[in-house]
Amino acid sequence: MSDSKSEPLDLFKVLLDEKVHVKLRGAREITGRLHAYDSHCNIVLSDAVETIYDTDANDQLISTQKKSEVIFVRGDSVILVSSPNDV
Amino acid sequence: MSTETTTTSTEISAPSRFLNEITATSVIVKLYSGEEYHGILESIDGYMNVTMEDTKEYVHGKLIKTYNDVFIRGNNVLYISNV
Repeated sequence: MSDSKSEPLDLFKVLLDEKVHVKLRGAREITGRLHAYDSHCNIVLSDAVETIYDTDANDQLISTQKKSEVIFVRGDSVILVSSPNDV
Repeated sequence: MSTETTTTSTEISAPSRFLNEITATSVIVKLYSGEEYHGILESIDGYMNVTMEDTKEYVHGKLIKTYNDVFIRGNNVLYISNV
C-alpha cells in the first residue's frame, strides 16, 4: 500500500528547521521554526509567535499575540501545518 | 488495514481504495469546523491525514487563504470528495 507512495507526515520531514505555520483548535495559530515532530503531530517550535483570535463586545475580530522561545504543541490540537512560503 | 480483497464484484470495494485512486487529483477536503480545502491531493494515510498542493481555503464559500503545501491532521476531516 505505502510502497513508493509518500505519506502525509513526510511533509514534516521537509519542513524541519524551516519556519512553519500551524493552525490550532480554538482559533489559534502559531508560526515558528520546526524542531521536532512525531506521528501524533506533537510539535516543538522555536521563536514561536502564537496568535489568538477572538471577537470583542462589538463583534469585531481582535487578535492577541504571545511569543515563546520554545513551545511544545500537543498533537491533538493541530488542525493544519503549512510550509513557510505560504505565510 | 486488511489486505484481503474479498470483492469479485467490481462495484463493491473498500473506501480506502477510493482514497488511493484520488491521489494526485483535484479534491475538496471539508473539516468538521466548516472549512473547505480545494487542491491537489498529494498523499493520504489510514488516519486520513492528508497533504495537498495548490490549496485554497474556503470558509462559508469565501476564499480566505491559499497554501502551496499543506498538511491536515486526519481527525479534523469530515469528508474528502473529488471534483
